[in-house]
Amino acid sequence: MAASKGQRLLWHGRCWFSQAESAVSPQPPDSLYPPIVASFTAKSKAAKRRRLEHFRQRVHAAASVEEKLRLYGLLQRPKYMVYPQTFALNADRWYRSFTKTVFVPGLPRRAAPAATKAPGTVVPEAAKGPEGATGVAPGAAKTPEPGTAAPGAAKASEPAAGAVPYLDLGELRSLACDALLQESFYQTKKRPFLYRDQDHTPGPFLTQLVSTLAASLCGRNPLLAASSIDLKPEVNYYWHHGEEVVVHGHRKGRVDPVRFQIDDKPHLQIRVPKQLPAVVPLDSDLGDVPVIDHKPSKLPLFKKQYENKVFIGSKVADPCCYGHTQFHLIPDKLKRQRYIRANLEDQIEVLYQANGIASLFAWTAAQAMYQGFWNEADVTRPFVSQAVVTDGKYFAFFCYQLNTLALTVETIQNNPRKNICWGTDSKPLYDVVEDGNVKGFNDEVLIQLVHFLLNRPKEL
Amino acid sequence: YPLFQLGGPQLRIFRPNFFMLAVRPGVPQPEDTVQFRVSMEMTKVDIKNYLEKIYNVPVAAVRTRIQYGANNKRNHKNQRVKKPDYKVAYVQLGQGQTFQFPNLFPEKEQDAETRSFDDFKDKYMEREKQRQKGDPRRGGVPDWFGL
Repeated sequence: MAASKGQRLLWHGRCWFSQAESAVSPQPPDSLYPPIVASFTAKSKAAKRRRLEHFRQRVHAAASVEEKLRLYGLLQRPKYMVYPQTFALNADRWYRSFTKTVFVPGLPRRAAPAATKAPGTVVPEAAKGPEGATGVAPGAAKTPEPGTAAPGAAKASEPAAGAVPYLDLGELRSLACDALLQESFYQTKKRPFLYRDQDHTPGPFLTQLVSTLAASLCGRNPLLAASSIDLKPEVNYYWHHGEEVVVHGHRKGRVDPVRFQIDDKPHLQIRVPKQLPAVVPLDSDLGDVPVIDHKPSKLPLFKKQYENKVFIGSKVADPCCYGHTQFHLIPDKLKRQRYIRANLEDQIEVLYQANGIASLFAWTAAQAMYQGFWNEADVTRPFVSQAVVTDGKYFAFFCYQLNTLALTVETIQNNPRKNICWGTDSKPLYDVVEDGNVKGFNDEVLIQLVHFLLNRPKEL
Repeated sequence: YPLFQLGGPQLRIFRPNFFMLAVRPGVPQPEDTVQFRVSMEMTKVDIKNYLEKIYNVPVAAVRTRIQYGANNKRNHKNQRVKKPDYKVAYVQLGQGQTFQFPNLFPEKEQDAETRSFDDFKDKYMEREKQRQKGDPRRGGVPDWFGL
C-alpha cells in the first residue's frame, strides 16, 4: 500500500518533491521570519547588552582611526576630571588604582645586549665604568661615528662620567649651565607677577635646556633627528574604569561605568616616528595595584560633562605618532616650599609620582588609541614613553610601559596584565646660582636626562 | 573677621567660642578622613588651627561645605519650619594617622536570666497568638461568619 501510494505521488508529476527532499533533508530551511533577539530600546538588561554589543561592533567596524575615536567618545556623560598635577593627599595611590599601574621605584636597569643602551639608575656610574670601557650599546650601535666623533668629543676624564665613552659631558654641562645662567643671571627681567614664578625662570630654562641638548644629541640618536618637539601641547585621554550607581537625577538607580578624563598640558614633549622598545615583556607582573573601595570623589575628584577627547599632541595623520619624552613643570601653587611650610614633606614625592603616572598613562594610552587599539581590542605590543617632572631645580624621571587598555568592568575581569611605571625621587640639578656661577651642579641628573634623550629602538 | 592687609596684625583668637562635633559619616569615607559639624562662621584655616593647637591633632587638609537645611515641613499653622543649616568639615589627618568612628551603641551581652526571660516572653506571645487564631479548618474566616 505504501509503495503504491508513493508511486502514485511520483506519477502525479510531483517529481520536485523527491528533489526538494534530497536538498532539504540535511538541514531545515532558513527561517522566513527575522531572528529572535532582545529588544533594542527596552529598559531591560538584555536590551542594554544588545545596545552595548551594537556599539562595540560599530567601533570595531569603523573605517578609520578618526572614526573610531569619534564613536568612542560620542556619548557625553558627567565624568571625573583627573588632574596630573594635584594637591590631593596620596593622589598617586588613587591614580594607580584608576589606571591599573604598578609603581616600581628606580628606573629600569636594562640588560646590556650589544644593541641597547643601559640607562640604569642615578648611581650606576661606578659600575658602568668598566662596562663603558668595553663599549656598551653606544659603541656597538654607533660604529660609523667613533672615529669622527672622537676628535670633537673629548672623552670625559673622570670614570664617573665615562659611562658613555663618546659623550662629552663637559660640553653638555656647559650647555646646561649656559641655559641656566642666561635665564636667571644674565638676562635682566622684571619681578615676576604673583604666582607666575615658574613661567618667569624655570619655564624658559627648561625649554632652552631641552632644545639645546636635543639638538646636540641629534647626531648620536637619529631618532631625535626625526622627532618633533612640541611646546605646551595638549594631551587628553578618556576612559572607563569600574562601576557605580547613579545617585540623583533622572537616571537614578542605573549602573554606569565610572568615566575619567585627563587633560594635561606638559611644558614640552618630544614625539618620534618609531616606537621605543619594550622594557619588560607584555605580561610581566612586577607588583600590586592598590585597590581602593571608596568613590573617586573622596580623593577629592570632581565631575563635569564636556567633550571626550583623546589626543597625543598631534592629529592622527602626523607621522610622529609615538611618544618619546615629556617634560612637566610644577606650577606655583604646588611648590616645594609651600608643602614644607604646611608640614607635608612626604606629599612632595607623591605629587611628582602622581604627575608622572597620570600624564604618561594618558599619553601612552592615547598613542595606543591612535594605532587603533581600545579597551575591547587590547594592545598587542607594549607602548613605552618617558617623562621628566621638574620644578626648575629638582628633577624626577619616569618611564611608563602601557601593557593593557582594558580597564572596564567586563574587560578587566580576565585581564592579568598591568601597566608599569618606573620612577625616581626628585633630585636637584644644582644648588644655587650665584654671581654667574652655578654651584653644586649634579652630573647624575644631567646624565640621566641625556640617557633619556638618547633612548631609541633597537634597530637604530 | 576684620580684613587682613599686608603688614597688619594677624588675627588671634584666644578662647574660641566655636564647637566642633565629630559625626559618623553618612557615606563611607577614606581611613584618614574625619567628618565634623562645625559652626557656620568657621573657615578651613580656623578648623586646622583649632584641631592642631587645642587637641594636638596633625591636620593635613580640610575641606568644608554648607549643608542646607530643608524648609518644606509645615507646622500646625501651615507655616514652613526650617531645619537649621550647618557646615560640614572633612579633615584629612596628617602623619599617616587613621580614624574610624566608634560604635557608640554596641550590642550588650545578655546574661542567662535575661535570655531565659526573653525566651519565656516569646513562647508566651506565640501561645497567645495561637489561641487568638480560630479553627484552622475554617481557613482564616472569623467564627461569627455563618448562617
